[in-house]
Amino acid sequence: MNQMGSVCPRCRSGTVEVQSTSPVAGIWTVYHCKTCLYAWRSTEPEENTDPDKYPAPFRLNPDDLAKLPVAPTIPPRR
Amino acid sequence: MQAYQDLREFLSVLESERLLLRIADHVNLEPDLAAAACALTKLDEASPAILFNNVAGYHSAQVAMNVHGSWPNHALALGMDRSASLRDQFFEFVRRYQQYPGELERVASAPWQETVIDKDVNLYDLMPLFRLNRGDGGYFIDKPCVISRDPDDWDNDDVENVGVYRLQVKGRNRLGIQTVPQHDIAVHLAHAEERGEDLHIAIALGNEPLITLMGATPMLYTQLEYKMAGAMQGKPYRVVKTAKGLDVPWGSEYVLEGRILGGQRETEGPFGEFPGYYSGCHQYPVIEIDRVSHRKNPIFDAVYVGRPWTEIDYLQAMTTSAPIFVQLHATFPEVLAVNALYTHGLVVIVSTRTRYGGFAKAVGMRVLTTTHGLGYAKIVIVVDADVDPFDLRQVMWALSVKVNPAGDLLVLPNLSENLLDPACEPGGMASKMIIDATTPIAPDKRGDYGQELDTPQNTDVWLKKLDTLVKGLGK
Repeated sequence: MNQMGSVCPRCRSGTVEVQSTSPVAGIWTVYHCKTCLYAWRSTEPEENTDPDKYPAPFRLNPDDLAKLPVAPTIPPRR
Repeated sequence: MQAYQDLREFLSVLESERLLLRIADHVNLEPDLAAAACALTKLDEASPAILFNNVAGYHSAQVAMNVHGSWPNHALALGMDRSASLRDQFFEFVRRYQQYPGELERVASAPWQETVIDKDVNLYDLMPLFRLNRGDGGYFIDKPCVISRDPDDWDNDDVENVGVYRLQVKGRNRLGIQTVPQHDIAVHLAHAEERGEDLHIAIALGNEPLITLMGATPMLYTQLEYKMAGAMQGKPYRVVKTAKGLDVPWGSEYVLEGRILGGQRETEGPFGEFPGYYSGCHQYPVIEIDRVSHRKNPIFDAVYVGRPWTEIDYLQAMTTSAPIFVQLHATFPEVLAVNALYTHGLVVIVSTRTRYGGFAKAVGMRVLTTTHGLGYAKIVIVVDADVDPFDLRQVMWALSVKVNPAGDLLVLPNLSENLLDPACEPGGMASKMIIDATTPIAPDKRGDYGQELDTPQNTDVWLKKLDTLVKGLGK
């Protein structure tokens, strides 16, 4: 198991940052992946925090992100 | 009719009707909040709203869910008796919907102005954000009213828009937004982007129940949701203008002001959506929040979305059925009622009088060309005038005996369909079906329908008498 917050559970990138901590100190930390923009909280079930237990249908490959459909399309400038 | 001034007033009405559960137990953001809201939908058809006030990591957060999540709650949201039947709720919704326009009332100040944060905004500090479904890409604000104006026509109130669009929290003051291309905010955003500008928006969260229903109703581009709310509640709808000129409900718990960033798209999703499947990921527009205002001890309002039925199915039930009916009825006055309650109207049941053979099929085809039909209605069932489309026992009877597939089934290949429908192939395209479950009439001579059963003489008299006696049994 990876140390919490070192690798993104969804895309396995190492581009993880702490996004916020609980207003009551020490209860939870929210992490955020700067590559695939996934967010997770330290207190969530392991499926959402552990890359090895993250459900396969929802895993992402960072190389595929640029191919995601764009909606709505960006119109040309007037 | 009744006008609720804010969510708090509606919650107190629900409580007095024994339709609100307060949970003082300590709960975790995940998975407790979503699990409880999901469980509520499995209780029975009168599942109450739920209000949590002891949420892990927060000093005084409050989370309301399932506020619209039953037919009694929906009836009360419309100011009707809690026991109003589906049919009565439909006809009352339609009647008021056709009173458009009502009025909006602009006042100078609102309770949501009590607390203002205009630097170093951190949404996680301000509201209890939580994951709904395990595959969701993050934490979503999923019951907001997003308010925008047309940059090309900024002062025209009639093209101001209030819409319910999911918002993914992507940073302390950064959100993703799903602006479905068919929806009005996409028009506003396109105009801003053509001008090379950001689009100013306001996000109102924690609202009285009617404006949320209006934001979920596919009304015309030139119809303002606040004026429709005024018509629906029989009283002017009270709003307050932001500094940028956007009208916000007086009663909101939170108001977020910011900008959709022109020309930017970013990874968004997945989010568990109304068809009971995840949305997948897309490159969607991005919002930066500059300012948050909120009431003291604000209530965060969220809708659980799961495999139907869950709360979202109530939000897009009559709000879908009524506009389809109004458009359909304008072409075919023979149409009597429309039931589009199922999965945002992917299935639509229409009852109609029929003028001649084949008429019901024409009604079915018109459903597919209504605004909603273009992107949602995929299976249309047309029944006779004496079949209540809201009573599925009657609809199933009509399907059972009125349909001969050889002549009553139309399949229209490759029509436009909502991307979120998992049956699409490719995405955005699906074949659609019309089932004519009406009795064939001349010159359509198929079948043998001359000897239909009716009720014995005096059944109505006995019904009234026995109903009174049965009600007395429990006393």
